[in-house]
Amino acid sequence: MPKITLIKPATLLAAFLFFISSVFAQNKTVSGTVTDQDGKPVSGVNVTVKRGKMGTQTDANGSYTLSIPDNATLVFSSVGFGTTEMSSGGRTTVNASMSSVTTAVSEVVVVGYGTARRRDLTGSVSSVNEKNFNKGTYTSADQLIQGKVAGVQVANNSGQPGGGSTVKIRGNSAITGSGQPLYIVDGVPLDGRSARPGIGDVGLGGSNPGSNPLNFINPSDISSIDILKDASATAIYGSRAAYGVVLITTKKGISGQTKIDFGASYGIAKVAHKIKVLDASQFRQALTYYGVGNSNDKGSSVDAFDAITRTANVQNYNVGISGGTENGRYRLSFGALDQDGIVRKTGITKYTSNLNANFKFLENKNLGVDINIIPSQYTEHIAPISNNAGSRGSLIGNALQWNPTEKLVIPRAGKSDSLNVVRGGDLINPLALQTAFDDKSTVTTILASISPYFKFTKSLEYRFLYSINYGTGVRRTSIQQFLNFNDVLDKGRARIGQEELSTEQFTHTLNYTKQFTSNISMTALAGFEYLKYKHRGSDVNGFGQASLGGFGSYGLDYTNYIQFSDPSNRGAGSFVDPSYELQSYFGQVSFNYADKYLLKGSLRRDGSSKFGINNKYGNFPSFSAAWVVSKESFFNVPAINSLKIRGGWGKTGNQEFPSGSAVKRYSFGTNGLFQNNEANPDLKWQSDRQYNFGIDLAILKSRITFTADYFNKRTTDLLFPSEPAQPAAGGGTIKWVNLDGNIDNKGFEFAVNAAVIDQQDLHWDLAVNTTLIKNIVSGLNTSINTGTLDGQGVSGTTVEVIRNGLPINAFVTKRFNGFDKATGIAIYPDGDKLSYIGSPNPKTLFGMSTTLRYKKVSLNANLSGSFGNLLYNNTLNNVINVGSLNNGKNIALSVFQDPVKESFANPVTASSRFLQKGDYLKMTNATLSYAVGNLGSIFKGANVYVTGQNLFTITKFTGFDPEVNVDKNANGVPSVGIEYIPYPSARTITFGVNFSL
Amino acid sequence: MKINNIIASIIFCFLMVSCTKLGEKINGGLTQDQIAGGSGGGGNVPALLKGVYSSTRGVFQGQEGIYALWEMTTDELIGPTRGGDWDDNGAWRVLHSHNFDADHIRVKEVFNNLGGVIYGSTDLLRFTPTPQQDAEARMLRAMAMFYMLDGYNQVPYRDPGESNVTAPRVRKGVEALTYIIGELTAIIPNLPNGPVTVANKNAARALLMKCYLNKGAYANRAAPTFDAGDMQQVISLADQIINSGQYSFSPNYFDNFAPNNDAIGKENIWEQENIGGVSADNIRSRWHSSMHYNQQPSGWNGFTTLSDFYNKFEPSDKRRGVAYPTNNPSFPNPGNRVNVGFLVGQQYSMASGAALQDRTGAPLSFTPEVKIIEQGNNLEVTGIRAYKYPIDYQFDDNGNVNNDYVYFRLGDVMLMKAEALLRTNNAAGALVLVNAVRTNRGASVLTGLTLDNLIDERGREMYLESWRRQDLIRFGKFLTPWQEKPTDDPKYLLFPIPNGQLAANSNLNQNPGY
Repeated sequence: MPKITLIKPATLLAAFLFFISSVFAQNKTVSGTVTDQDGKPVSGVNVTVKRGKMGTQTDANGSYTLSIPDNATLVFSSVGFGTTEMSSGGRTTVNASMSSVTTAVSEVVVVGYGTARRRDLTGSVSSVNEKNFNKGTYTSADQLIQGKVAGVQVANNSGQPGGGSTVKIRGNSAITGSGQPLYIVDGVPLDGRSARPGIGDVGLGGSNPGSNPLNFINPSDISSIDILKDASATAIYGSRAAYGVVLITTKKGISGQTKIDFGASYGIAKVAHKIKVLDASQFRQALTYYGVGNSNDKGSSVDAFDAITRTANVQNYNVGISGGTENGRYRLSFGALDQDGIVRKTGITKYTSNLNANFKFLENKNLGVDINIIPSQYTEHIAPISNNAGSRGSLIGNALQWNPTEKLVIPRAGKSDSLNVVRGGDLINPLALQTAFDDKSTVTTILASISPYFKFTKSLEYRFLYSINYGTGVRRTSIQQFLNFNDVLDKGRARIGQEELSTEQFTHTLNYTKQFTSNISMTALAGFEYLKYKHRGSDVNGFGQASLGGFGSYGLDYTNYIQFSDPSNRGAGSFVDPSYELQSYFGQVSFNYADKYLLKGSLRRDGSSKFGINNKYGNFPSFSAAWVVSKESFFNVPAINSLKIRGGWGKTGNQEFPSGSAVKRYSFGTNGLFQNNEANPDLKWQSDRQYNFGIDLAILKSRITFTADYFNKRTTDLLFPSEPAQPAAGGGTIKWVNLDGNIDNKGFEFAVNAAVIDQQDLHWDLAVNTTLIKNIVSGLNTSINTGTLDGQGVSGTTVEVIRNGLPINAFVTKRFNGFDKATGIAIYPDGDKLSYIGSPNPKTLFGMSTTLRYKKVSLNANLSGSFGNLLYNNTLNNVINVGSLNNGKNIALSVFQDPVKESFANPVTASSRFLQKGDYLKMTNATLSYAVGNLGSIFKGANVYVTGQNLFTITKFTGFDPEVNVDKNANGVPSVGIEYIPYPSARTITFGVNFSL
Repeated sequence: MKINNIIASIIFCFLMVSCTKLGEKINGGLTQDQIAGGSGGGGNVPALLKGVYSSTRGVFQGQEGIYALWEMTTDELIGPTRGGDWDDNGAWRVLHSHNFDADHIRVKEVFNNLGGVIYGSTDLLRFTPTPQQDAEARMLRAMAMFYMLDGYNQVPYRDPGESNVTAPRVRKGVEALTYIIGELTAIIPNLPNGPVTVANKNAARALLMKCYLNKGAYANRAAPTFDAGDMQQVISLADQIINSGQYSFSPNYFDNFAPNNDAIGKENIWEQENIGGVSADNIRSRWHSSMHYNQQPSGWNGFTTLSDFYNKFEPSDKRRGVAYPTNNPSFPNPGNRVNVGFLVGQQYSMASGAALQDRTGAPLSFTPEVKIIEQGNNLEVTGIRAYKYPIDYQFDDNGNVNNDYVYFRLGDVMLMKAEALLRTNNAAGALVLVNAVRTNRGASVLTGLTLDNLIDERGREMYLESWRRQDLIRFGKFLTPWQEKPTDDPKYLLFPIPNGQLAANSNLNQNPGY
């Protein structure tokens, strides 16, 4: 076992800090290092004094310093390592060695308004700590747990760096809103939106893929992510918890010597998978093959997709400084990320910081305060890629369609090349679009919380939390006037949007813990919470004045001088959302008898200003119980170390509809005053009822643990933007209602963790999880259409239905039965009749994680996948269909290679032809690392690694990535599993190093 | 424990301060109380009225609104599927071939948009409008109710301020018409004489004419009858309009639809105002939806007329199409080519005069014949392109074009009067009016007038003005076969009530046959 020697000055500093703050003059200081069975330092180990109040954690080098009474016994405990006790025996250095266990029953998990020991849990809670996060460079926290947790599906909506994700916990039940879980960062709930102004622009579609609302947190500042899945765990969050709760805990300071941790990485990213279209020679063959004449053979050979994409650089730097004493700990971190996108002129630059401090006051240390501040700023450079672009507006669509025999740039003698832009032509050169289009968004956020607490007695603690989470975004978009958009040509376009988002929170909680007898104990929580959300924004926009030469080509961004725009062709707008306040009372009681029988009950009463006047408050109860069978005296199976049976029931809600939806209100338009909402005084939350049964099993000295859960979730009172009875306020005004109907999600989750080989020099861990989900809709008195396709020939066409007897978002479209071999026209055996073809919701989710370590070299790999669903390929349907060839545009290689020659006169229409199997298995990431250890006396715990992200995907889907969810909502009803010319996914190789000083 | 007490007190204070009643502020918009209290306490009726006026524009102007339902269901217009374009799940084909159902998106949206006008114009009446504001709102409401009656035979309504919890009541058929007639009669005294963009006395009279003329059709669409008293009303209302001296034939028929038609459209009685470069609805879709991609401005290569309808025109008839002067020097139309009305044969650049090609490189030469699904090599060029509003070359790029939408004009009033005369056995008097119109349009005079040549004349004069469906039903011609509509069913005399509305309002009943 290598001995870790502490640096003298740091020890002195720690001793000094200890000296000035310690009130236990009779105590002595011990320090030491905690190592694992291989001698590697273990960080984050809780070091406490048995039957005492003192405690600390080990730092990144496994070191700790603690003031203890003489001859005290130290208890070392950590997630994944179990518990070890060591008597100090009067020593000043106490080193401990701990053996890793795959799951430790003493593990502490974060739950609603507090923490709990894993062994005390009665509900379904999954934890992923830093050690188990996905490795690589990520911009947001949700990507850290992709494939890690049973019942949780994480899909990236877009390959754009900083783009949003879809996170679904235990299936899909959202017939409106995002269906995303409630995120809570260190006790502060997030709004769930990003402050990036969402502006579409001329012909570029109405909406961009969203920005990820978690972008503001640096993933390397996160110590754990806990996912509350069943209602007995989530009901304490009441009317916001229906889609599950994700608790993000940032790293805290550790008392002891001041530590500086560094991390740096550099990576390169490439397009992971291209959509195959014709190259120049195939295009020429196709012109002949389809007999459309060779007027569109322009004589060159280009690859437009290659022209707009690149090999991109990714750099990431992190530094964390932590230290303090028992009574005043801090951690301060800085992060800088510069990630170029694989599409040229895209990327994200992000600066983050996190200050976390914990102080204790008074002689008895009963008063304390926790402070957490997360400032961040990120700038996204965005490409003209939208969810619903028409024929001209999408960069990816134009690149796929570009005639491969047509030059993108025209060489000019003695001058720089010029872009091939045809005035008046309706073909858009993707390279010209990319060059002409500039779209930058900068979002600045600060999340600050202060939480003082006071212990009245040993049993009773009061805590107050105030937080403010403010974000503001500015977005500047311009289109240069050389582009052949006929409204932009010779004028130019500029737009500046601004948006603000804030959440203010006051939470009061009282915690009561009491040990009645040696066997009976109880904990209770009572609380009050008030939340206030604000959202507002504005934008100005204009076209240049053709008579003054437009915005011109002065080399300046048009948004720098928007006053030069045509006064008669300007737009301005502003909005403030109706106020949104939430007021809640909540309580929770749990009993524990001899660690054998566990009972828990909770109740939250939520009032929301959004609810109708007749339903201002809702109650959200839960009950759960667990029986630790293995603690029974009759239980005598030596191979089984632990066996627990759990059961729970609870109610939660969802209130993801716009504020002001319950009341009649009028809005100001350019052309007068309009009523824009129909009142519904009965409007309330969408209700979820869920029960859950689970079993936790640990065998073979806890080297193998197994967890299985059955869940049954029924969603009712479905929030829906309904079509009101006419006459009703015009302009597509909707009435928010709670529809009768049920959405059931039922299924099983299984997770196995095994330390397959556990030897000194060789260690192999394997974790596998899988989820089986069934979804069905019933009790609706209507049928709801969504999944709006875009492109010529499919205006107003939807391909998804929410209807009784089918899974939610069921694909319902025309049945396609191949082509007539003689005419090349598609055959639809049922004519225009629409049929149920399949479901976009996976039946099976799969995740696997494994670590193989030999001495100092370890290999970690993570796979994730989903199976049993279909995906709709709107790209193939409407962008690269055969008819495009007739218009001088490119088509899909698969169309050209089809044994039947499809007629280019075949009407472009939605059908099952474009539904493809969505099954995939993806190597999410793999990391090879080498633990260098200490380098001299300065660099400690050095580690070098190489990580590959998105290394391969096994799938039959022919789009960019089967992990796809382009937002194709219809009237606010979300779609699932439709691809439409999205930002392609990247494959990234990163080299990195971590060390401490 | 003293410090405990202090802290307990602090906590108590926090709790007290934090409690709220969860009241909701609208912030960016207004509650009805704020409207009632706004603009000096009388409510901001001008802003609300402007809102109602602008809410009427979408449903009348765009190619997806009343235009689709009242024109594409007739012999004047077809939306053929052309390979990759205009399949749209058959939405356009079923209109022309009479195969639509209660889930049809246009049938649904037109119903809802007309309902929106009815709602907004009714709601405004609660905020103490002046007599003229009251009359204008009720005129807009009457117009929306009239189209809803004409298309669906059922008109749901609520009184001003009535709760939206109970299902709206419904007036059907002649009962709805009687209500509309009563409303129009009541408001005429309070309506102004003009301008043409504001609901005015003669606009109300023109709508009253439509009411009386179609009354028998609303009683029985399969076999309309015409009451002499009603026809007399039509005649006397026409006389009031004609004799007001406010209207005369425009020198150019297309002036009435031109970008500056509010100034030069001498025949126009009532228009929806569009202001070029500033504020307009989608009237430009009338030309975009028909023109080819490679024309100027670039179109969407969709709607055409049918050769049988085109052949009803004499070559000398100026209504068939003219080279209308362009209002943009970049498009001088050097070849003086036809650029409004019906476009057939080789097309030319408005900028250079050069002959245009389609996207395959073939000559852009529109053929007279068109099929509802085009699958040949020439699928881009089939069909005679048809639009009636001269292109606003100045503001087309901007999107807000200047052409006002025309509800009523003199030619329609004269032909309605002629029809009433003919239906009351005064064919000679009717012929004078018809020939006056024809002469002005460059067509030869007719020697006699029958219902058959009168409906044709209404087609020639009023094509693509969203009256054709109503006219064909009144003349008993709506169910006859025509090009690309071989068969029919009497149920198509009415549009179905959209399924969403049937679910939302128990007082609506599905129309027979759907």
